Amino acid sequence: MSQFVQQVILGVLLGGVYVAVALGFSLVWGVLNIVNLAHGALIMVGAYVTWFCFSHWHVDPFLSLPVDAAVLFLIGYGLQRGVINRLIRAPLLFTFLLTFGINLVIVSLLLLVFTADFRSVTPSYSGAGLQIGTIAIPYIRVASLAVALLLAGILWTVLNRLRIGAAILAVGADRDAAQLVGVDLRHIYAMTFAIGAAFAGVAGGLISTFQSITPTAGDPYTLQAFAVVILGGLGRVSATVAGGLLFGLIEVLGQSAPGLGSGFANAIAFAVLVIVLAVRPQGLLGRVA
Amino acid sequence: MGGGKPAAGAVSVVLALLATACGTSTSTNPSPSTGAPLVFGASVSLTGSLSKEGGLTKQGYDLWLDWINQQGGIVVNGVKHPVQIKYEDDQSNSDLSATLVQKLITDEKANFILGPYGSAATATDAVIAEKNGIPMVEANGAAQAIFNKGYKYTFGVLSPANKYLTGVLDMAATLSPKPTTIAMLTANDNFSVEVAKAVTDYAATVGMQVVFNKSYPAAAPDVSGLVSQAKQANPDIVMNSGHLAEAIAINKAAKQLGLNAKIFAYSVGPSTPDFISALGPDANYVYDGSQWTPQVKYHPSFYLSVSDYVKAYEQKYSSTQPPDYHVAESTAACLAFQKALENAGSLDPAKVRDALAALDVVTFFGQIKFDSRGINIYKPMVVEQIQNGVHYTVFPSTVANGSPKYPTPDWSSR
Amino acid sequence: MRIPASLLRRVTLGIGIVALTLLALMPLTSTDAAQQAGLPLLTDRLWFRIATTVAMFVVLASAWNIIGGLTGYASFGNIAFFGLGAYATGALVSNLHWAFAPALLAAPLAAAAFAVLIGLPLLRLRGHYFAVATLGVGVAVGEVVNNVGPLGASTGLFLPIVRSDLLFFYLMLAAAVLAVLTTWIILRTRFGYGLLAIRENEEAAAVIGVNTLFYKVAAFAIAAALTGLAGGIFAQWNSFINQENVFAISDNVSMILMAVLGGAGTLLGPVAGAIVLELVIQTLAGGGSEAVYSQIALGILLAVCVIFIPRGVIDFFGGQSRLSLGYLRRTLRETSA
Repeated sequence: MSQFVQQVILGVLLGGVYVAVALGFSLVWGVLNIVNLAHGALIMVGAYVTWFCFSHWHVDPFLSLPVDAAVLFLIGYGLQRGVINRLIRAPLLFTFLLTFGINLVIVSLLLLVFTADFRSVTPSYSGAGLQIGTIAIPYIRVASLAVALLLAGILWTVLNRLRIGAAILAVGADRDAAQLVGVDLRHIYAMTFAIGAAFAGVAGGLISTFQSITPTAGDPYTLQAFAVVILGGLGRVSATVAGGLLFGLIEVLGQSAPGLGSGFANAIAFAVLVIVLAVRPQGLLGRVA
Repeated sequence: MGGGKPAAGAVSVVLALLATACGTSTSTNPSPSTGAPLVFGASVSLTGSLSKEGGLTKQGYDLWLDWINQQGGIVVNGVKHPVQIKYEDDQSNSDLSATLVQKLITDEKANFILGPYGSAATATDAVIAEKNGIPMVEANGAAQAIFNKGYKYTFGVLSPANKYLTGVLDMAATLSPKPTTIAMLTANDNFSVEVAKAVTDYAATVGMQVVFNKSYPAAAPDVSGLVSQAKQANPDIVMNSGHLAEAIAINKAAKQLGLNAKIFAYSVGPSTPDFISALGPDANYVYDGSQWTPQVKYHPSFYLSVSDYVKAYEQKYSSTQPPDYHVAESTAACLAFQKALENAGSLDPAKVRDALAALDVVTFFGQIKFDSRGINIYKPMVVEQIQNGVHYTVFPSTVANGSPKYPTPDWSSR
Repeated sequence: MRIPASLLRRVTLGIGIVALTLLALMPLTSTDAAQQAGLPLLTDRLWFRIATTVAMFVVLASAWNIIGGLTGYASFGNIAFFGLGAYATGALVSNLHWAFAPALLAAPLAAAAFAVLIGLPLLRLRGHYFAVATLGVGVAVGEVVNNVGPLGASTGLFLPIVRSDLLFFYLMLAAAVLAVLTTWIILRTRFGYGLLAIRENEEAAAVIGVNTLFYKVAAFAIAAALTGLAGGIFAQWNSFINQENVFAISDNVSMILMAVLGGAGTLLGPVAGAIVLELVIQTLAGGGSEAVYSQIALGILLAVCVIFIPRGVIDFFGGQSRLSLGYLRRTLRETSA
């Protein structure tokens, strides 16, 4: 029983990371209608920023998260304004191809700058945790979950309480109408992508604390973000949070599923995804289209 | 076998200045004429997910390339052939690797093929070598499945996968108090599964028991769920059969979740400098099975001694770290070709292939000799342990320069 | 559905010509024979390997085009059909020691059957949801295969080496011709009009009497059969299959790239896309220490292509438009913010 509780806790904690990974992806997809294949690469840029601050200036990885966000915000704004905006009215598959190309470029640049060496951020407290009976709760994972929920809160506030958020939602709902009432489309597109990228950067910072960093280590996270967004449902912050936590749970419990080799963990996670889609296409918490 | 040391072996002078002095292996013919360049082709991963390991492979090949060309080349039947290595980048994609090997053979006119990194690419490339009748010596694909298919043109200089962690069990059996229970975590790829199966088969013969045995998807970013399950089994030995990224992740998760054991041993990963730089003091006490370490005591019949090899590496790559075994085994693949060419006295692929099959020579890497399947089962694996941020060879005692620090203290008391 | 007689005649003629050409060249199934026959091109194994790869991607892109381009359902799970086809042939040859020819027949059948099975629930989904659901299928099937002992699990399956590069080139070429021919026939039948109607407006299609579910599942199964066939040929050609080389999501991305770059929904667009892109990839591939720069070049090239010629190379080089600054300016204005 305590074993099960332990697995559930670990699943939720891992889910926190997935929430952070998926928030930006979901925003960009929902508002700009872009499936951003470069999302994982942006996450790794954030991870490298954290690593750089940690290894060169001994900055605590959690303190450098705002730096990750700022750097990625600028990169994201530039990418959208300079490149992706040129294709924003094309069908989904074209922006899909474009971001595939961007991903290739970013990953290659990371390889040039940072080489293929495995990097890791290991602060002194990385192993510390709370021990309740036989159940261990690593602090660093709890902090990651807290940051992820904080990010979700920030995104919700930005979208629902700030002017820029209103403009972003308006563009997401109806571009032409938004333009008619005086919204600067190009700027709002760029801001949306920049916020998405900033969130990816923070996710990268979190990931660097428990996983080694290489230029290609972000690729699997694009796939995970895809799955999380669909599982929860597109278009609501709360849905992404639920989707992320659930996906983390499914993965960890899949590793311990009795009777099956845990090599099946990925198969189980994606099979659940397919079943959810077949039964409830709008996702668990998504709005009916 | 096991002849004398190279004449200039002990002298620690810059290699480039030694060009004329250390030509022991080629001294059989005092003044050979110069022949056409020999082209070796190598498809290695320079971009993509395996670019780290692919880069190490290339370093190993290049080290030998510099040396052999300082000698003036390989002497084949009284003619000195200078050597070129043509590289192609397979982007860590095994399908592409096969096409590139064909390109090396057809376009780049490669006479011989040096292997790629990884068991999957090696399996694909072996087919191409076979179809073209061009010998391939590989150093980075240890899965035995490749060698059980009756391929005639593929040779592996490294010890096969089943040897990777059994040495750790042999060592553990000598320790006191003797550990008896094993938790085995395995990445689900062809190489790692063979490593793990050998452990589960071998454990009983040294009086141990595998109490936890689970696999995880290859390249899984998070393994905390599995690590916490392993903790419930309360094992004396925690073993991971996987790669560098997973070894780092498992070690981090073990600390975070308070998984304590007397021995932590990982198949691949701890031998690379990255493991220590990534984990810092948490890397201490970790064991790994290694193809080679800078401390091994072999007496090579040609090429460099072990210590000169380490110096040559540190010199060429301006490194403060000695080469890890990926580099050494890759160099060894070149040495196998060199000796086989010298023995064959011919550039004919079929004759060189036969010479490879008959090869039996001792190098800085150990004995190179292939069984009927083409894999080197004659060279032993060694066990390394990281102590205070430095690699020590701890087993077998005949080559060791340190003794195991045992048992590993609990995370809380480090 | 009625096929016009003139169409039937032309199709029969086409098949006949292709079959005759193949028969004429069949004896040359080893490069040695080709060498003796004094045909220099036919002795170049690299040329054959690349040509076979290109032909394979023509099959994959054309097959994807049937479900993704004509019907408008962007499948990210076609790679599952490729992998299943490869494993169907691979397991029959490797485990049950079937001859390659009958084992190859199993590949399209297995893939098509699986397409019907997953198509019935999943083809009710639209747009992104269908894309992600099929992506899930692609990942999940690959992971399952990677864990099933009789299929070699993570060790993969080894097939006996067949020493004939020409044979596999002709097989893959025949599959490519079959894929294009199938598309051509579809485009000229009621079935094809039905698919296009579904793409443009599925509700309206249903109203005018198109049995949309049947049409979609049929298109999916046809695409799967062609993709599975290519997988079966690949298995024997490569002689080694595992999860990594036959269930690679990146290959699914490649086939979409090719179809879309060439012009999705057209007959020859995917063919052109596959040939151009695969040749570019093969040209940029390799290279020693400069490899990373060719990756960057490939990425930038892709970005430039989709930004400036988003309707595909077919539209760019043929059709109503010409290579001109005006064309580039016009497409930019239509698609950018």
